[in-house]
Amino acid sequence: MAFTLYSLLQAALLCVNAIAVLHEERFLKNIGWATDQGIGGFGEEPGIKSQLMNLIRSVRTVMRVPLIIVNSIAIILLLLFG
Amino acid sequence: MHPAGLAAAGTPRQPSKRRVPVSQPGMADPHQLFDDTSSAQSRGYGAQRAPGGLGYPTASASPQSAFLGDPVSNMAMAYGSSLAAQGKELVDKNIDRFIPVTKLKYYFAVDTMYVGKKLGLLFFPYLHQDWEVQYQQDTPVAPRFDVNAPDLYIPAMAFITYVLVAGLALGTQDRFSPDLLGLQASSALAWLTLEVLAILLSLYLVTVNTDLTTIDLVAFLGYKYVGMIGGVLMGLLFGKIGYYLVLGWCCVSIFVFMVSWGSGKDGTRGTGLLGRVGGPWRHPSRGCQVGSLDQRPHTGELRSPGVAALA
Repeated sequence: MAFTLYSLLQAALLCVNAIAVLHEERFLKNIGWATDQGIGGFGEEPGIKSQLMNLIRSVRTVMRVPLIIVNSIAIILLLLFG
Repeated sequence: MHPAGLAAAGTPRQPSKRRVPVSQPGMADPHQLFDDTSSAQSRGYGAQRAPGGLGYPTASASPQSAFLGDPVSNMAMAYGSSLAAQGKELVDKNIDRFIPVTKLKYYFAVDTMYVGKKLGLLFFPYLHQDWEVQYQQDTPVAPRFDVNAPDLYIPAMAFITYVLVAGLALGTQDRFSPDLLGLQASSALAWLTLEVLAILLSLYLVTVNTDLTTIDLVAFLGYKYVGMIGGVLMGLLFGKIGYYLVLGWCCVSIFVFMVSWGSGKDGTRGTGLLGRVGGPWRHPSRGCQVGSLDQRPHTGELRSPGVAALA
């Protein structure tokens, strides 16, 4: 079973890319996961759904620029080494 | 591994301060993890450092001047050694930023008795009564003194042994080649990383206040390699039946171990690994618990509690 660290890195990169391309207005609003729809104040238990929404929003905000860099590196490496 | 008798000036350590202390009088000082050999080195460097800064060769101070006799090369050597000392200082200062060395030292402060008891506990946790980790003044006691404390020695050794045993098993089936060892190692490491990430994600999503650090999680997830080694060895000796039997036994044992780890003497602290995570339902009858340290109220935490687990 060739589940190596490199394939884990590839899978992680693909997952983060997938989270980054979720569009706020066209998609997340339609299923009620937009960031302006869920924040229920500073109540007690945030709940799983709001935690997920927070996670998606923070991944999209934080990882935008690093993803560009990492994707470019991946493209160059794949072009060179197949 | 260091025998329990070593007790010189140990390294001050700051692991997760979030754990609540249970006072344990009469315990040996847990801050003395290892011998401190740094004083011998600094003495040697200190003698070389003084002449290098001035540029004036003090021939009497350095022992090499007796047979070198040349002031310029003497000065150059003193300057070089002072550079080396400064470089060493820089590395020592910065290494702690990337790899938490002092925290890691805690997890390797084990001795033979601890390892023996812990291995027995991993294969047969059903009769163990007291799972609570003992503390001393807000810091957990070193694994040498408490069988319930997590350590990284057993997982590291078990991981390497598992890779070797897997190579052995492949060899008996005539499928072995040396690069397969590396493949097994990186595959096992990838699974371990995946499990750690999955558990961290779950802990974040369920918003538990936990005082489990990432290294603790790695330690706990590394304990399963012991069972895997047992399974593979039994499979080599007794065939398929032995393999599945021992694997099933080890699975149940690890499950019971994880669930009951950290629970109190009469099981009142809640279930095992989840019992280490906070919440208002924590049992109040635990020694000298500091209120603000223990009950981390949700209103006081502006960042997500799951992020605290990653620190």
